[in-house]
Amino acid sequence: MGVAVIRKLLQWMPFLFGIGFIAPLTAQTMTYWDIDAPLGLSRIGFGLLFGGIWGLYANIRGRWI
Amino acid sequence: MDRPLDDLARDEVAENIALSAEAGLIEGGAGHDAEERPLFQWRKAPELDKHTRVGLRMQEREVAARYIADPKQMRIYTVLTLGCFALWLASFPLTMLDIVPIWPCFLFATFIAAVGYVPSHEAMHYNIGRPGTKYHFWNEAVGQVATLILIFPFSMARLMHMHHHYHTNHPENDPDYTDGASNWFTAWIKTWLNRQPGADGSIHHYKRCLERIGTPAAKIALRDTMLLQLGSMAFLFALAWSGYAFEACFLFWLPRHLGLSYIRYWLSWAPHHPRDGLDRYTNTRVFRTWVGHWLSLGMQYHIVHHLYPGIPNHATKYAYYEMKPILEQRGVDCSAL
Repeated sequence: MGVAVIRKLLQWMPFLFGIGFIAPLTAQTMTYWDIDAPLGLSRIGFGLLFGGIWGLYANIRGRWI
Repeated sequence: MDRPLDDLARDEVAENIALSAEAGLIEGGAGHDAEERPLFQWRKAPELDKHTRVGLRMQEREVAARYIADPKQMRIYTVLTLGCFALWLASFPLTMLDIVPIWPCFLFATFIAAVGYVPSHEAMHYNIGRPGTKYHFWNEAVGQVATLILIFPFSMARLMHMHHHYHTNHPENDPDYTDGASNWFTAWIKTWLNRQPGADGSIHHYKRCLERIGTPAAKIALRDTMLLQLGSMAFLFALAWSGYAFEACFLFWLPRHLGLSYIRYWLSWAPHHPRDGLDRYTNTRVFRTWVGHWLSLGMQYHIVHHLYPGIPNHATKYAYYEMKPILEQRGVDCSAL
């Protein structure tokens, strides 16, 4: 049971990586360079959108680029 | 002498492995007999009579015995590895509290990610301390921490490396075969492509190998890998969401990727290219590189390691030059060095 849950988690790791790492990294990079998020979004909101979509793309396509 | 001197490779002469002829068909020009033909002929060492072979092997062993790892001299590996690991851990709070700028810590983390595999590799072969000796604890300690920055558990690293020695260049059984590439540029690109989520190289390939092996040790290695991957990701995510995404990126994530590419290129592709030999004298190559001995991590003399894994990395250069006349008689192309 535990192994099955861990396997599932690892299968979704690119998406989780997008949310868990790319999103805050994007937001903090925008803050560092003083760049505002488009469409009235907060920086972390934009980061979540960007990281989530990119992670999902990596999950589906099997590669990041 | 309390340890075997010889390599871990199979000693029999490699047979022609008839790979699936699909590749030939894809490349075109395959005749009706494509199914039966191997894709290429394996390079083989010249066949010598038994008397000559035994004589040369004895001479080889005499040289090797002079360079086999001495646990007392190997203590420097332990000191450096544990010291560097402690410094790497310390770099997180030091950069988070703005005591040290992030860029020197990034360079240091990248350095230990790329070079840390070397002491881990010595530990895989018990060169730092044999089981049953007082040095064994430190051997295992070095192995456990040296590749943590790579998210590469020691149990998996050791098992896969032993398989690499036993099946060097075998298309199906060598865990490192997926690093093969036709030239240096492609090899560098492939180091990154192989790590993509859907690729069948690098650690993904190792996991498949471990599942196929299926022994208790393989199961433990798989479990360790899962736990380390999850733990590392949790650490990265926690750092990033706590406002330290740059620290997570430049002290861990980016050094790991740079280190993995460096290791894959220099420790796997370069010394085994073009992977056209299966026996102990043809499964590696002697090569010269403009980056030199240190930056290539001593891999120019990798043949010595495959022949005698008990010789530590820093001694392979000296053992090679002493063994060179013997290796030439065994058909090794030593013209590069």
